[in-house]
Amino acid sequence: MPFAGVDIGSTMTKAVIVDGHGTVVASVIGPTGAEHRHLALAVMDETIKKAGLSFEQLDFIVATGYGRINVPFADKQITEITCHSRSIRALFPTVRIIIDIGGQDSKGIKLDTEGKVMNFIMNDKCAAGTGRFLEVIAETLGIKLTEMGELSLKAKDFVRISNTCTVFAEHEVTTRLTEGATIPEIVAGLHEAFAGRVVNMVRSLGIEKDVVVTGGGAMNIGLIKAIEEKVGFPVLVPPEPLLTGALGAAFMGMDLLARGVTSQQDRRLEGVTFFK
Amino acid sequence: MSDDHEYYAGIDIGSAFIKAVLIHQKQIMAYEILSSGGNYNETARRVLDQVLSKGHLSLHKLSGIVVTGIGAESAPFQARQFSDISCQAAGCRSLFPSARIVIDIGGQFTRAIKLTPQGRVANFLMSEKCATGSGRFLQVIARILRIKIEDIGPLSLKSQRPVEFSTNCAVFAESETISRIAEGARTEDILAGVHRALAAKAAMLVKRLKMEEGVVLTGGGGEDAGLVSAVSEALGVDVLVPEQPRLTAALGAATLAKEQKPGTG
Repeated sequence: MPFAGVDIGSTMTKAVIVDGHGTVVASVIGPTGAEHRHLALAVMDETIKKAGLSFEQLDFIVATGYGRINVPFADKQITEITCHSRSIRALFPTVRIIIDIGGQDSKGIKLDTEGKVMNFIMNDKCAAGTGRFLEVIAETLGIKLTEMGELSLKAKDFVRISNTCTVFAEHEVTTRLTEGATIPEIVAGLHEAFAGRVVNMVRSLGIEKDVVVTGGGAMNIGLIKAIEEKVGFPVLVPPEPLLTGALGAAFMGMDLLARGVTSQQDRRLEGVTFFK
Repeated sequence: MSDDHEYYAGIDIGSAFIKAVLIHQKQIMAYEILSSGGNYNETARRVLDQVLSKGHLSLHKLSGIVVTGIGAESAPFQARQFSDISCQAAGCRSLFPSARIVIDIGGQFTRAIKLTPQGRVANFLMSEKCATGSGRFLQVIARILRIKIEDIGPLSLKSQRPVEFSTNCAVFAESETISRIAEGARTEDILAGVHRALAAKAAMLVKRLKMEEGVVLTGGGGEDAGLVSAVSEALGVDVLVPEQPRLTAALGAATLAKEQKPGTG
């Protein structure tokens, strides 16, 4: 019994297929473009092929992420707050706080001891504290986003970045460079500022152990270390931080079917053909 | 002593430009604007030298110098210091005695200053934390549109249908602009949309100070006709714009050098 989850994030589209036991059979990560619908379908198609399945064989498809409305072949749309909580709770039963750092937003989610969502907080208004902050400045520094984590670990000290605004920080960073600061020191400073902003936001929820960091930001070891500095204890990171939304969506499909919710399997194909 | 032989200089050491104004009696004799560059001291010295040479004066003929702006602390010559708020207010008041609200839109901030009927600073508010509240927002968007800063104003005025941004963040607005271009939005409509967003921020500051008639728009923003029109619209009044909006703080500094000589109270 295969279940699929598709997560249309602001930057990446992710799809996961799990079997009836919840084991991952296949997953695909692709970029999100202006045309959500085609991309969602392309990523889903590829995942289905990887799993050696066909569309009709999927028992339930759940879409999540900010572009979830644009997934016509999904049986149900569920918010990413619910989906992240579902999969992370399965991976780390002790989780109480989830920090999700995405390409254009960041979220904090608080769970009770039973794993239910108690509260959440989100920033999608300002690029600071989202992946975009690092992306913009990586470009200014002429380095890759994916190498920032390792690079920052080489720094003995960090350069304090005083501007919150990404645009102003960009300028500040070039000034620091001309003053002789090294790139690792600057990147470490960016992580420190970033972590401060995200942790401050989450603090309003009341930080409790365990804290799980997910999303693209969790793939940056320098940022994880900076977050640990701010919260004062080690945090947990899922093995595939980009996939927790899609994985949770697949699990939610499993839960829904078990509760007797029927999928729209027959109507699903119509949607697929229409957008092909 | 009459003021026939009194000359005063005001120098505004900003992060992007350093401006100097030389006044004699109530007239501007000379002015100069130079890009700040990496060394404020050196540029400040050069700006002062050039303004003196334009006015055919030597340094010792000056009866007073006032410096202001972010780099005022490190001025390389003997000068008194006044805050940029005081200088901005004094400069605008000397040009427009009826001024009660001064809006200063610069590259890094937007400021609103409220003046008493006597022309003193009653209160002021600043938006400086976020690029969306400053001229930088326009620069960011103009860069994507490949528009020169000086062309922004005239183009924006042609807009029939200003774009409404869904975001208040310059970085997110940058990507939104790219999608809008892909959807066929016109350059002028995007620029007019940025002007509206900036004007809304300025109007918010003014409302918090309590709006009054006699609004002056100064700073680099005053050189942008599209922004001037958007601010007028947002406030519902015509706004006054100095001929040289970037010089008002330097002019105010020179005015204060004359008006508030040490020992005269």
